[in-house]
Amino acid sequence: MSTDLEQQLRGAMERFTGDVRVPPGLALKAYRHRQRRRMTGRVAAAAGTATVVAGGLAIAGAAGAFGSASHAPVQTAYTAYVITRVEHALAAPRIGNLVEADRTVYPPDRTLQPFAHGLLGTEGGAGSSSPWRAGYTLGWMYRGSMELSSFMASGQRVFDWAMTPANGTTAVIYGNDTWWTAPAPGGQGGGGPAPGCIRGSQIDLGGGGAGNGWPAFIRSQLACGAYTVAGRQVVDGISTIKITGDSGQFTFWVDPATYLPVQMTMGQKRTEFHWLAPTPANLAKLKVTVPAGFRQVPAPTAPAPQAP
Amino acid sequence: MAHDPAVADLESFLAERGEPLLRTAVLLTGSREAGEDLLQAGLERLLRHRSAIVGDPEGYLRRTLYNLAADGWRRQRAWRLRLPLLQSETALAVEDGTREVDTRDALIRLLVQLPPRQRAVIVARYWEQLSEAETAVVLGCSVGSVKASASRGLQRLRGLSGISTDNDLAEEKTP
Repeated sequence: MSTDLEQQLRGAMERFTGDVRVPPGLALKAYRHRQRRRMTGRVAAAAGTATVVAGGLAIAGAAGAFGSASHAPVQTAYTAYVITRVEHALAAPRIGNLVEADRTVYPPDRTLQPFAHGLLGTEGGAGSSSPWRAGYTLGWMYRGSMELSSFMASGQRVFDWAMTPANGTTAVIYGNDTWWTAPAPGGQGGGGPAPGCIRGSQIDLGGGGAGNGWPAFIRSQLACGAYTVAGRQVVDGISTIKITGDSGQFTFWVDPATYLPVQMTMGQKRTEFHWLAPTPANLAKLKVTVPAGFRQVPAPTAPAPQAP
Repeated sequence: MAHDPAVADLESFLAERGEPLLRTAVLLTGSREAGEDLLQAGLERLLRHRSAIVGDPEGYLRRTLYNLAADGWRRQRAWRLRLPLLQSETALAVEDGTREVDTRDALIRLLVQLPPRQRAVIVARYWEQLSEAETAVVLGCSVGSVKASASRGLQRLRGLSGISTDNDLAEEKTP
């Protein structure tokens, strides 16, 4: 089956069942039907001895499979199911056919700086005076290629940064009218195996695997385990499934139709996601244009990570 | 009876997980009504065996849905109901002329024409996105059987899809 047909089939299934809702009273209907069948069976069995035993409906142990005592394992099973669906949704080949667009809003005193093989974010410290202050970023990703533009909270553009597996990294720095380029690092695409659990506040989306991007990052967070489905919440008009981490650091909201993330928060940082078709207009967003008159400089290399 | 704790617990269970289960049931049966009937049948089995289920009633219910569907649950009734429905949908699609929507609708129409087990495998693999091994566990069969059913199902889908396209083209060319 071609990937296109597979996608079409999946889309057809989503569309076909998109407005399906459980009818009210289905549980009671099932229960009553089950009881009628039980009673019929009892009468038939009792007829052999000419004795009909009246009595309770033998709902002893009703707190069994659905009782309060079993809610915890049921919730755990549901969480595991949802997490599996999210991991599947973010894995190849499906994710490889979508353009991911995101907008991340940063709290004050955060910086984001481009380097040859990635981006380095920091919090606190010299954030308020740094030329790399990040108010918000707009990002695009498709099949290992990424583009990210960083803006101050005022809307002033700080830098554009793009990385492709074939052409490497290009950055345009608006603070000093410079640009630089660097060769492509080695690594894997976004649909590859999850890189395992990653913790910490420094996130280098490009390092250690070119173009891993948000899908791989989210999968790496889910790989840490300790996530729980915390009910439904409307985000961007969608009745999303909310998934919270036990540490309180990460929360995800996923679309129940696609199981793709709609929003994620990391501490005070919030990222909104959109998953789009790879149209020419959307793919054009992955390219960085160097403005006329900008001066080329050597690409900076990222500092060694500090010990915690 | 309505205040029985089993009903309240079942309602709570459905409020949390009913929608994805019903969507799967609808895909397994080909219509909303049949999907609701299938889910209700699964719930009845869940009630019947609840004392023996350890930990994960959703897993049990999901397996029950797939197995009932794969075993051709109410097959005759469903097929009788489906036939006029499919014919009317085909007619509407041709009149509407929206090709992309038609393609998707056509895929669903082709899906419900597959034999129950092949359809169950296709839904498990491409809707639930289960692996071949996970699908084998849900359906209680071997991985080889899943592979064979998926291959035949996809081949049929592709074949039926091709026939449909050819027919459409033939109709368009007819003056």
